[in-house]
Amino acid sequence: MFIGTEKLSHIYMPGTPYATKALEEVSFSLDRGDFALLIGPSGSGKSTLIQHLNGLLKPSGGKVIFEDRELGSDSVDLLALRKRIGLVFQMAEEHFFSETVYDEVAFAPRNLGLDEVKVEQNVKLALERVGLEWEVVHDRHPFQLSSGQKRLVALAAVLSLQPEVLILDEPTAGLDPGGRLHLFALLKSLNQQAGLTVLVCTHHMDEVADLADSVLVLNRGKVIMSGPAHDIFARRQEFNKLGLSLPEVTEVMHCLAAAGLPARTDIYSLEQARAEINSLKRRLEK
Amino acid sequence: MKNRPEIAIETRKLAYHYPGEENISSPAVYGINLSVKRGEYVSLIGPNGSGKTTLLKLFNALLAPTDGEVLVEGISTTEEESQTEIRRNCGMIFQNPDNQLVATTVEEDIAFGLENLELPSPEIRKRVNRVAGELGLEHLLKHPPHLLSGGEKGRVAIAGILAMQPSCILMDEPTAMLDSKSRQDVLGAVRRLNREQGLAVVHVTHFPEEAARADRVVILHQGRLIEQGPPALVLNNLQLLHQLGLQGTASSELAALLRTDGFSIPQEILNCQELVQSLCSSELKN
Ligand SMILES: Nc1ncnc2c1ncn2[C@@H]1O[C@H](COP(=O)(O)OP(=O)(O)O)[C@@H](O)[C@H]1O
Ligand SMILES: Nc1ncnc2c1ncn2[C@@H]1O[C@H](COP(=O)(O)OP(=O)(O)O)[C@@H](O)[C@H]1O
Ligand SMILES: [Mg+2]
Ligand SMILES: [Mg+2]
Repeated sequence: MFIGTEKLSHIYMPGTPYATKALEEVSFSLDRGDFALLIGPSGSGKSTLIQHLNGLLKPSGGKVIFEDRELGSDSVDLLALRKRIGLVFQMAEEHFFSETVYDEVAFAPRNLGLDEVKVEQNVKLALERVGLEWEVVHDRHPFQLSSGQKRLVALAAVLSLQPEVLILDEPTAGLDPGGRLHLFALLKSLNQQAGLTVLVCTHHMDEVADLADSVLVLNRGKVIMSGPAHDIFARRQEFNKLGLSLPEVTEVMHCLAAAGLPARTDIYSLEQARAEINSLKRRLEK
Repeated sequence: MKNRPEIAIETRKLAYHYPGEENISSPAVYGINLSVKRGEYVSLIGPNGSGKTTLLKLFNALLAPTDGEVLVEGISTTEEESQTEIRRNCGMIFQNPDNQLVATTVEEDIAFGLENLELPSPEIRKRVNRVAGELGLEHLLKHPPHLLSGGEKGRVAIAGILAMQPSCILMDEPTAMLDSKSRQDVLGAVRRLNREQGLAVVHVTHFPEEAARADRVVILHQGRLIEQGPPALVLNNLQLLHQLGLQGTASSELAALLRTDGFSIPQEILNCQELVQSLCSSELKN
């Protein structure tokens, strides 16, 4: 297994009146190079699961596995692991503490003890990968940037360690539509061009459904669906029952089908919907 | 309900500069003339950094205008002795609920504002239970708020405001962290109070499908109000929206693509139902 969990359970504040079973026997796995989505209602355990994947939280039961080895077993050094598995927190920019963008992005590589020449190389590469211009941003105070740019700095701060796996907790929360499209396109290119394995937790399917290879759905701490994106998105009624939604264009196709038209419903992006509706029109005219 | 003025919020030539801003020629908001009627639901959209949050803070007397004025129910926000009253009548829901949760249990948190009003305890309990029910929080009433998931915290913050029965509610991206069911619960509860009790609403959102349900959509860009009108018009001005890095709803975007392919679809499409109805009644009649 590349990365995943086996019967992972997590209880917050065990033995107190507030004990909360946040994860219950969660098992899943991702292949190297996957682009995966983690979805589920608020409180279903997504953030809890994500924080186990790079060792920030310890399982109450079960295990987290990376390259066939269990995290927390003596042979796996957590620091080395965090270099390979990068985690971008929800609203990460709220935790910025440096005076310049450079220092913010340099924090993790410096922390690993890299020399300053290597640190600078890593920072440059990371800023370039997220599309921020070195000359424009490296000297600036992070708070002088727009929200979209701050989010990119947060991503660069994680990419500065050149991880192989990138995990993001609601990375587009608070971004405007242009910022969302830009960020998801960037994640897809990191996945396709740089070969990063990407796991994104998000509530907003419109921009991202079409990019995913696989999907994991949590509800009340349990895995209730997992598999290839097309198989999972086909289970619309279960989605609706959980209070989750499919992309709006998918809904359009389902409504056309419900109106008795022979429309395909495995459609997850604007361009796919456009093509299918044109094709449907030609089919009906024949 | 009390006799209330017809205009809930009115601004005249409103401008605001943050102190110490480097570039004095670019205020955060500028030249805003806007009035929100009792019972009106206005959604405020605009790119990140366009001044939306600043404008809400001016409405609720958290910031004092640098120029021009804001009247809430006819009273200027610069009158010191009215500010408490204004903040109570004009409840604000912030982007990040963490800044808004104060008490040790969810129940106390929702009741916090009511306790300050010195309402009788049976009335407090009644209101707390009602809003908790409306927002699906009954099972969390005894929990400490800081241990909840992001979506749960968001609903608690909103419950605390709704329990105060304000005459006006200001929401700053209240759904950024919510799943689609919680989004519907929260916005549904607000919409109901808006329709049934004349609650005036100003709702900042990055989601066009949320803006589509307002009575009026207002666009801010670089601190200026550059466009306003009914959602069907404003959200179909795709040329303007795209230029600003914004988007129409997925259905309005899809309708526009299909129009360029030669489909005859009316200009004012906002949602899935309208698009499907239009397609079925003309182009895809079978
Ligand atoms: N630090 C914590 N202490 C105690 N309970 C927590 C903590 N963080 C989350 N929880 C609880 O664990 C459950 C899962 O939360 P979380 O993983 O944040 O869900 P999600 O990210 O899917 O919204 C929720 O019921 C939440 O209230
Ligand atoms: N506390 C502050 N100090 C200085 N400038 C600020 C502050 N808050 C916001 N600004 C600036 O004011 C402008 C409008 O910001 P804001 O109202 O937060 O926009 P929005 O909510 O639309 O993203 C931006 O240029 C932002 O950088
Ligand atoms: Mg979460
Ligand atoms: Mg804002």
